[in-house]
This record gives sequence, structure tokens and C-alpha cells, in this order.
Amino acid sequence: MIRRLVVLTLLVGGAVLLEPLRVPTEGVIAPRSLFLFGILLLTADTFGALAHDLKFPRLVGYLVAGLALGPSVLGIVPPGVLQDLAMMKQLAVGLIALLAGAELRIRDLVQRYRTIGWILALQTAFVLLGLTALVLILRAWIPFLQQLEFPSVLFVALLFAATLTVNSPMVTLALLTETRAEGPLAKTTLGVVLVADVLVVLLFTAAFSLAQASLGGATASASETLFRLLREVVGSMLAGALIGGVLTLYLRFVRRELVVFVIVLVFATAAAAQALHFELLLSLLVAGFLVENVAPVRAEPLVEMLHVVAVPVFVIFFAMAGADLRLQTFRDLWPLILAVALGRIGLVYAGTRAGARLGAAEPVVARYAWTGLVSQAGVALGLATIVADRLPRLGLAMQTMIVGIIAFNESVGPVLFRGGLDRAGEIRTR
Amino acid sequence: MQTTLAALAVITVGYILAYLIFDRLRDRYGYVGGAEYVVLGFLLGPRVTGLLDAGQVQDLTPIVSLALGWLGMLLGTYFRLPTMALIEGDYLRVALAEAVATFGIALAALLALFRYVVEAPWPDAAVLAGTLAAVATLSSPIAVDAVVDRIRIRSRVPPVLQLAARMDALVAVVAFGLVLAIFHRGDVAPGVRPPTPTEWAVINVAVGVASGVLFHLFLGPRGHLDEGRLFVALAGAIVVASGASYYLNLSPIFTNLVLGVILVNSGGAHRDVARLLLSTERPVYLALLLFAGAAWSPGSVDLLFMAPLFVLIRVGARFLGGAIAGGYVAPAELGAQGLGRGLLALGGLGVALALNYGQVYPDLHPRLVLTATLLAVLLFEIVASREASAFLLSLGQRAEPGAGEEADAEELEPVPGPG
Repeated sequence: MIRRLVVLTLLVGGAVLLEPLRVPTEGVIAPRSLFLFGILLLTADTFGALAHDLKFPRLVGYLVAGLALGPSVLGIVPPGVLQDLAMMKQLAVGLIALLAGAELRIRDLVQRYRTIGWILALQTAFVLLGLTALVLILRAWIPFLQQLEFPSVLFVALLFAATLTVNSPMVTLALLTETRAEGPLAKTTLGVVLVADVLVVLLFTAAFSLAQASLGGATASASETLFRLLREVVGSMLAGALIGGVLTLYLRFVRRELVVFVIVLVFATAAAAQALHFELLLSLLVAGFLVENVAPVRAEPLVEMLHVVAVPVFVIFFAMAGADLRLQTFRDLWPLILAVALGRIGLVYAGTRAGARLGAAEPVVARYAWTGLVSQAGVALGLATIVADRLPRLGLAMQTMIVGIIAFNESVGPVLFRGGLDRAGEIRTR
Repeated sequence: MQTTLAALAVITVGYILAYLIFDRLRDRYGYVGGAEYVVLGFLLGPRVTGLLDAGQVQDLTPIVSLALGWLGMLLGTYFRLPTMALIEGDYLRVALAEAVATFGIALAALLALFRYVVEAPWPDAAVLAGTLAAVATLSSPIAVDAVVDRIRIRSRVPPVLQLAARMDALVAVVAFGLVLAIFHRGDVAPGVRPPTPTEWAVINVAVGVASGVLFHLFLGPRGHLDEGRLFVALAGAIVVASGASYYLNLSPIFTNLVLGVILVNSGGAHRDVARLLLSTERPVYLALLLFAGAAWSPGSVDLLFMAPLFVLIRVGARFLGGAIAGGYVAPAELGAQGLGRGLLALGGLGVALALNYGQVYPDLHPRLVLTATLLAVLLFEIVASREASAFLLSLGQRAEPGAGEEADAEELEPVPGPG
């Protein structure tokens, strides 16, 4: 403990001491950003170790470190630096998507398709419909719903609920990697979370189109919206197939410097995804899945490499996610945030239990699968940003509340899931 | 950011193409190189195809700083004191004398050139001469190791040659670090007294030491971590050290050299650290060469006059430095008078110094420094291996394969320095 406190003192002290020795300069990544990135990385790892000592998941420590160094608390890592380092976050999302796809095995999916399907369907339905109802009940206290008439209020509530149906592949994978958990609970949760990622994109887009149309801001017809939606999903899958093909060729003919190649492949995919409007996460998920399950090459070198780089990637992702949180913005909304977040946990629990029963899941899955479906992180934050960007009248207020709920789920979810894995007896490391 | 991502993508495609063409040649015909990546970067860069424009190349600078730090740290890991203590005193004296003499001769000649021929002001002449003298002093440990490994002879000179290559790198990096500290660029925050050159030098070392201490505190009392967390600790230490140096306009190579020396001389993780660094050496080295090629925009005066002069000065300094060390410092029976002939290969660390120079002194002929360095890399790559082989063969009878291995293995840890 003392050693870790010394590390933290050195890191924070170093950042503060060196700061005045240079006037900050500009650049795509300003010189100061690189230095502060290193400070953030090491501080987050130290907090992760502290969290581990206290029997919490490491990623809770990473989040706390980001929050502590970020603009909300100490301000050592200012918003400009986070903006400079956005590409690191993209890299983290891409690498994890690739790892997630490679971890998804057809054999496991075929074996558990019934359980996964029922849990996915009922959990999503419970959360979507239950939260819509809850939000409508609480509408008098929710700022962005107060001025709306029926049916707009219904569709906006539906969009709000759709954003909160999202799970977190990042948190699930981070915990499974950290604990090296193996067993029916780990496999089922991973399957549900990854397949849900595709489903949620469809659900969100539909809810968004309805809300936009009801608010009078729709610029596209229903068929156009559906076409756009399909194009995005199909485009992501085609891009994933192409990337999977490139990876297969590389694994077959080159094989060397795999880390560098994969990192740059993720960057190139991120650039293409922005230009061609497809989903980075979904495309790389498909690519990883194809290389592992379909490609005529051994995917072990890729999977092994991704497992090695996973640790720093998780540190980067969650530390930056923590630094991005602005506590001040949802200071006034915390009672509402707490009510909706707790309501969501209850709905996740009920939906998962019902789904597990219909899907004839193993007892441990029925009992603890809900713990893995509480977390929310990057995907949900991305959807909240879309809401803020494209619904200017009420989007920002909605985003603030959604981010508050995500922050709660991001902090509580990993603790719950680790507890669930522990009680299911699937954790391999202590 | 889009352009940066696109630049990275272009570099990767280039790298794969280069691999598919040149590494196959190497596998088949024993071609040893690296210069092709400079050429490839140049072809992709703004001067030829323009696939990478000048802005994109500039955007990649922070990533280059990390690569510079990585190579500096790798060099530092060679200087493990318990291993160095096994080396004969004569060898160390010869290697150090060769490096210092080469640097001194190159510095004197370059200072005269820039001050009296080019008529640059004293500080500018000192910066340019100091930097290029550091580059001239470098010799590629990888190239030397490759030749020594290929030409097995019954002589005590090959280990001296290998040690001299590392000493050259040490002297060059330290000298360059001092140049950046003494002639420091960049403003400090208002109300803060600008540090003196000595203070900048101390800050440069202190950042490396602090990063080393941090790394050890990370490892904890057990002295080891699993591979993922070791990578976080190592990458974090390098990012902090390189980032701080880049931010303060100091040398990430020098800072990380200090960090590397600390890491291999304290704690029990030196083997893990060296292994991890070595596994990433090649991509980092090649990426630097590609970047240097893309950033290369030679002016005609530099290319036709200054760079060839630098090459001549380097040849002279190398031969004279080798002769001084081999003739006056080494025992006569060693027969190492032609030491400089075996140390002609320049390698990637020179490119790293030139790139670092361009980051700190963008207004003080960075094109000249890069042009001189790249021309030297390209030219010496053609002749260095042949000259080193001829030098070793001139020393004595060839040994049976494996005959020299035991002695060499005792004296030199198998951790090559960069480039």
C-alpha cells in the first residue's frame, strides 16, 4: 500500500513539477499530452492494483484514477489532452472488439444458442419496456420530458430506454481477462453481450428515427431510415469480412510484427469507419470472429497477442473513460439517476432470470447472469453522444442524464459481475 | 486525426510490401539491410508520390518520440554492470578510447567546417557539429554482430569490435543529450527562471532516474509481473520519460538510455525487460527508418556538398579514432589498429538522433542533418559489411564454426543495441 502511494505521489508530483518548465505547445498530439498520457497510464495501473488489493475489479481502479486526474477532480489531465488522446481510445475499442470476436466460438454459440437467445430477448424487452414505463412515470421530474406532448414523450422515453439497454462488451471482456474466468456463466454472458451489441444498434436506430420524426426533425422517411440502418449494419459486416480476409492473408503469408500490424489495421479501420459510416466495433468483432471460426489459418498467434496487449488496452480505455466523466454536470440530477439506474438493475435481473428459465440455463447462469449485464461503458456513451449531437433541443439534457446512469452502471456493474463469477466458482485467479 | 490514421495505414502497407520484397531477398540471398525502408518512406513521402504529405509526417512526431525512447532504452539495457565487469579492462579501455577519439576528431572537423567554411555563428556551429559528430561516432551493433557471427576468426578483436559499437552508441547518445541541454530551446512558463544548461542536463538525467524508480516501485518486492502488466509498467515508464523529454525539448533517447541502465542494474526483471524490448526492436527500428524516409526532403546543396563532406569526415574520424585506440591504447599483441574499418555501419540510432534533432531545432538546418545522416546510412550500408569482413579476415586464421563462441558468450550479454 505504501509503495503504491509513493508511486502515486511521484507521478502526480512529477506532473506538477515539470508543468512550468515549458510553455504548452500545439500539435495533433501536443508534447504535454504524451507525457500526461504516461502519467495517466501508470496512475491507473496503480489504482487498479489498489482496487485489486481491496477485492474490487481492477477496472474500477482505472476508472477512479481517470476521474481523479481528469477535469472533474484534480484537473491534471485537462480536456484538451483527452481530445488529443482520442485515437488511443479508438485503438482500445478496436483491439477489444477484435479480441471479443476471436473469443466467440461457433461451437459455444451453437451449444448455448437457446439460453443466449432467451436471455437476450427477455432482458432487452424488460429493460426497454420497463424503463420506458418508469421514465413516463417520472416524467414530471425529468427535465427533457417536461415540455413534451404525447406521443413525442413516448418516443423520446423509448429512445432513452433503448440507449440504456446497451451492455458493455469492454467491461465483460476486461473482467473475463482479469479473472481468467471459464465456465457456463462466462460463456453465456459473453455471448449475450456480444450478440446484443448488434441487436442494440438496430434497436437504437429505430427508436432514434421514431423520436426524431415525432419531434419534427426527421429528414428521412421510414424506408430511408431502414435502408440507412441496414446499410450501416450490413456495411459493418462486409467491412468486417474484408478486414478478416486481410488478417487471414497476413497470418498466412507474413506473420511477423503482428502487434504493429494489428494496431495499424485498427487505426485504418477507424479512419474508414468514419469516412464510410460503418461501426468500428461491429466490423472488428466480425473480423475477429471470422478469423477464429472460418479462416483457414491458425488464429492462436493473433489471440495470444491480443491477450498480451489487452491489459494496457483496458487500462487506457477505462482510465480515459473515467477522465471523461464530468461529475459536476449531473450533480443536481443524482436522485433521478439513482432511481433510474436501480430500476434498470431490477429489470435486468427480472429479464435475465425469466430468459434463463425459458432457455433452460444451468443454475449458475440463472442465478448470476444478470450481474454481467448491468455494466455499461463505451458503446452506451457513443449512443448518448449521437443523441446529443442530432437532437439539439433536448439531446444535451438527455445525454447528461444518460451519462450519469452509465457512470453508475460502469462503477457498480464490474463489482457485481466479479461477485457473480466468484460465487459461480469460475474465477481462475485470485 | 483522420490524416494521422491514414498516414499510419499508408506506412503499414508500405512496410508489408517492403517485407514481402526485401525480406524474401534476405532469406534467399543473405541480403542484410534496412536502407530499403528509408527509400520506401521517401517514395511514399511528399517529395515523390505524396501519399504521405508533410502535415501527416509532422503529425506522427509524438509517436516517433516514443520510438526514439524505445531505442534509447534498448541501448541502455546493454550496460549491465555485472556483465560489464566480466569484460577485460583492456577491451573497455580500447572501446572507450575509440569512441571518444572518433567523436573528438569528428567534432573538431565539423566545428571547423561550420564555423569557418559555412560561417555559422558559434552556438549554431556547435549545435550542428555536436549533433553530426554524435551521428558520426555511432556504429551499428547489429551490423557488427552479424559480421562477427559470420566471420569466425581466432582473434581477441571481435569482442572488442562488438564492445566498441556499444561504446560508440553510449558516447554519441550522451554527447547529443548534452548538446540539447547546453543549447536548450523552448520557453518556460512566465515567472519561472529558465534552468541553466547544467540544470537541464540534470533534469534530463533525473527524468530517466525517476522513471526507473517508478518502474521498480511498480514491480514491487517480488520483482516481477505477468507479461501484460510488465508491458504496462515498461510502456508507462517509457511514455513518461519520452513524453517528459519531448515536452521539455530534451532528448528522449538519452533519458531512456538512463532508464534502461537503471532497469538492468537493479531488481530482478532485467531479463524480462530485455526480452520484451528485443521482441519489439525490429518494428520500432523499421518504423523509424520509414518515417525518416518520408520526412526526408533533401536540398541540393546539402545533398551534393555538405552530406558528402560529412561522409568523408566520418570515414576519416572512424579510421583515425580506430587507429588511435588500436595503436596507442590497445596492447600491441591485440593487433587492433584498423578497428575503425570494422565499425563503418551506421544504423538506425543515427537516424533516431537526426529525427530528434529535427524536433528540437526545426529552424537550424534539420534537413541538412537528416540528409547527411541518411546518405551516410545508405552509403555505409553498401560498404560496411564488406570492409568489416575484410578487416576481420586480415586479422588471422578463420576458426572452425563455434570455436570462438565460448569466449564471446562469456564477455558479452546477447543484448544487441539498436540499429
